[in-house]
Amino acid sequence: MAEFRLPDNSRYKDVPGRRFKASPGATRVRTFRIYRWDPDAGEKPRIDSYQVDLDRCGPMVLDALIKIKNEVDASLTFRRSCREGICGSCAMNIDGVNMLACTTAIEDVKGEVRIFPLPHMPVIKDLVPDLSNFYAQYASVKPWLQTRTPAPPDRERLQSPTDQEMIDRPSACILCACCSTSCPSYWWNGDRYLGPAALLAAYRWIVDTRDEATGERLDELEDPFRLYRCHTIMNCTEACPKDLNPARAIADIKKMMAERQY
Amino acid sequence: MPSYSFTDHSYDVVVVGAGGSGLRATMGLAEAGLSTACVSKVFPTRSHTVAAQGGISAALGNMGEDDWRFHFYDTIKGSDWLGDQDAIEFMCKEAPSAVLELEHFGVPFSRTEDGRIYQRPFGGMTTHYGKGIAQRTCAAADRTGHAMLHTLYQQSLKHSANFFIEFFAIDLIMEDGACRGVVALDMATGTLHRFRAHVTILATGGYGRAYFSCTSAHTCTGDGGGMVLRAGLPLQDMEFVQFHPTGIYGAGCLITEGVRGEGGILRNSTGERFMERYAPNAKDLASRDVVSRSMTIEIREGRGVGPGRDHIHLHLEHLGAEVIQKRLPGIAETARIFAGVDVTREPIPVLPTVHYNMGGIPCNVNGEVVTRRGDDVNAVVPGLMAVGEAACVSVHGANRLGSNSLLDLVVFGRAAAQHCARRVEPGTRHRPLPKDAGEIAVERLDRYRNAEGSRPTAELRLEMQRIMQNDAAVFRTGETLQEGCDKLGTTFERLADVRVSDRSLVFNTDLVETLEFENLLLQAAATIHSARNRTESRGAHAREDYPDRDDGSWLKHTLAWVSPAGEVRFDYRPVALGTLTDEVESIPPKARTY
Amino acid sequence: MSLRSPLGRVLGHGSAREGVHHWWHLRTSSAALVVLGVWFAFAVLTLPDLGHKTVTTWISRPVTAVMLLLFVTVATWHSALGVQVVVEDYVRGKGARVLTLVVVRFLHVLVGVAAAFAVLRLALGG
Repeated sequence: MAEFRLPDNSRYKDVPGRRFKASPGATRVRTFRIYRWDPDAGEKPRIDSYQVDLDRCGPMVLDALIKIKNEVDASLTFRRSCREGICGSCAMNIDGVNMLACTTAIEDVKGEVRIFPLPHMPVIKDLVPDLSNFYAQYASVKPWLQTRTPAPPDRERLQSPTDQEMIDRPSACILCACCSTSCPSYWWNGDRYLGPAALLAAYRWIVDTRDEATGERLDELEDPFRLYRCHTIMNCTEACPKDLNPARAIADIKKMMAERQY
Repeated sequence: MPSYSFTDHSYDVVVVGAGGSGLRATMGLAEAGLSTACVSKVFPTRSHTVAAQGGISAALGNMGEDDWRFHFYDTIKGSDWLGDQDAIEFMCKEAPSAVLELEHFGVPFSRTEDGRIYQRPFGGMTTHYGKGIAQRTCAAADRTGHAMLHTLYQQSLKHSANFFIEFFAIDLIMEDGACRGVVALDMATGTLHRFRAHVTILATGGYGRAYFSCTSAHTCTGDGGGMVLRAGLPLQDMEFVQFHPTGIYGAGCLITEGVRGEGGILRNSTGERFMERYAPNAKDLASRDVVSRSMTIEIREGRGVGPGRDHIHLHLEHLGAEVIQKRLPGIAETARIFAGVDVTREPIPVLPTVHYNMGGIPCNVNGEVVTRRGDDVNAVVPGLMAVGEAACVSVHGANRLGSNSLLDLVVFGRAAAQHCARRVEPGTRHRPLPKDAGEIAVERLDRYRNAEGSRPTAELRLEMQRIMQNDAAVFRTGETLQEGCDKLGTTFERLADVRVSDRSLVFNTDLVETLEFENLLLQAAATIHSARNRTESRGAHAREDYPDRDDGSWLKHTLAWVSPAGEVRFDYRPVALGTLTDEVESIPPKARTY
Repeated sequence: MSLRSPLGRVLGHGSAREGVHHWWHLRTSSAALVVLGVWFAFAVLTLPDLGHKTVTTWISRPVTAVMLLLFVTVATWHSALGVQVVVEDYVRGKGARVLTLVVVRFLHVLVGVAAAFAVLRLALGG
């Protein structure tokens, strides 16, 4: 049956993690409880607590993580880059919800801020998950324009603004993996179910009026696991930090499957 | 020193960096059948090209009359005549085909009613040599960089390019003045890799993080520039750092120039549209250096907004919710998150913020890295190429026009790939590497990994960033620059006392940030020393003690060599004032007004 | 740990080119069950009493028998499809998964045939 018991190295240490206090005199103190795991140390994961003076910290959760790394504990490891919600590096589980640390305000989290890596992914270190499978799933849907009609030599392929609108939102995905890693179906069958992010990418090309491989794309998706593991739980749409709607895209793909069959 | 072992790889070409230019080069090389490795410290779609918003310029003329010669003129004028006119001619002429090629790759460009690529006005882009306003900037809403970067990554997947992701390039492998490859650290496993290649292409982007407040990502640490300086080669025109007029006050996040292209207006505390005074013709769409200086003057003279009167308001309420939703949805989101502002009702608080490095690794139109050897001002460095923001071709001269950057990436990324395809026979045998290849890199890595000094990397980095922010700002004087040079010298001394706390090798970001910091520091030194050295005002380099452009003495590129201790040596290269072909006439220097 | 490339693992055996029928049947059978379920509830509630005699008489009426046969067939079919999804979701290991699927399918056939037989026996007066 499904494994509800976690493997040994995924369970926390019984002993509490390390604690770091804010400097005396700090008035607006918030505690950050952060998952720590170093593969080199040969120990089980632990939760470290850091007190951060919000008066001396930027407004976002990422600001706090950077402040901790810069001033308290340089070994704290996480990915980050653009700090404005477009690169998708700093996706993590904050207060039980998958979000981008850079666009999540500390003020919006009640009480202690609990930070974990994206759920159900292998962890490389601390808050850094291994996303190789996620990226391979993206690549597997052939996310590029496929045509048989040659491109016009001296101008663009024409597309009406209405047709462009269909791909406008779906193509804005930042591959942060917040959606896929919030999906229970992806947790149980992430090896065979493509997950909402890859399916949204597939959808973006299926509905692109310039693409001429719609049928082949649908063929490749028609599979009990690749597509039909989606049980319309909708966590993906709930989780998306860019307000995209992968659940709707998947439903539309299923509808197209039925339309070409019946 | 404990022993580190290398994993060796051999490729025809290795590309370092997977942003717009790196990916364009990679896919072009893979397409040409050359065995290619692309080494990147972040997953390709995390590269900072993804944050480019406004668009990519090309004289397609989809939304009114246009000609690449107008674009050529605008770019030269924007560069304050420091741009090389042959390179600019090449870029502007190639622009339409480069953009159409992107569309053919599948970039989801916004569209006009007749199905063509949508184009918007941008700063400094005119028709008929300054007479009209051109709509030249091709846009995918306000996430053009995102659309392009993802599409280029997709094309690289299509051509099955080899990626080495989360591999941090440490140093070049040099032999007798030629580049033989690069040493990189696989962050996930902590193993060292030696990439041997006939050509190494540096596409490592800018070094915006040398400043305290910038629109650049945390990863914009100019690692290629650092590697080049350590290899004993110079960087060019490093004094020219572009301040984008509209970074969000406080957060520093970018608000695209496209906002002003769509009709957004800057106003001071009196509500005045002050750009009408500084640039009567182009107004808010004057080039970036002009707008940034004007804003700084307004603030200095007490007409800034906010409790501290220290920033400016960018208004777009008058555009209406529909236009904002259709053309600028990302801006609405960014302003809401980082400034707490509803752009349909309130202005965005903005401030000039470090955005782009016009300077970089000197190279020619093919992307080959050049240096000055005696009288040879175009001496090619064998085996080494550079593209994108890391490079200085120079098409941007002293000031880049908005939307010319994305163009630079694809035009020169493609040109570099084509040049390699012409020069390198696929599968050419490699000579063995010198015995000590990669030792310099290992020595640095080991030194920092075990650095037990008293100053954490973050502390030294902050020190450098403050110096650059205060002493190499929008306006500069000899005095502040000298002060900055001296203070930065102290930071160099303190580097010996750096402390790295994380001793592990698996995903050791403390170590990587230290290696990045050294790259930043070298380029900060090149920047501030070059700025002190250039006693004139040109483009983005505004000296208060030398307010005028001095073509007699300074119509030339600065070359700066930086020693490991931070000493800077200069030489110069002439600006190419002639054109590549006779399809366009060269534009002689003249006064620059907007 | 497999040394196969992540893409190789994801592509696996390729697409099964199947799934749309399952999805469609699950949905159409649930729609049918709504109608049949309402009929069944209404019919049972309007019976004068639930004594053995009343119920057997009711079942032996041709309309009732046909409707009940439909109800039983569609319900077991729908259940078989639904439980299959649950098994695919949660049962690990290729062998265990296939075995469970077979057993579950057999059980559904058994229950369906037995129920149909019971209805037929009452309807045809066994």
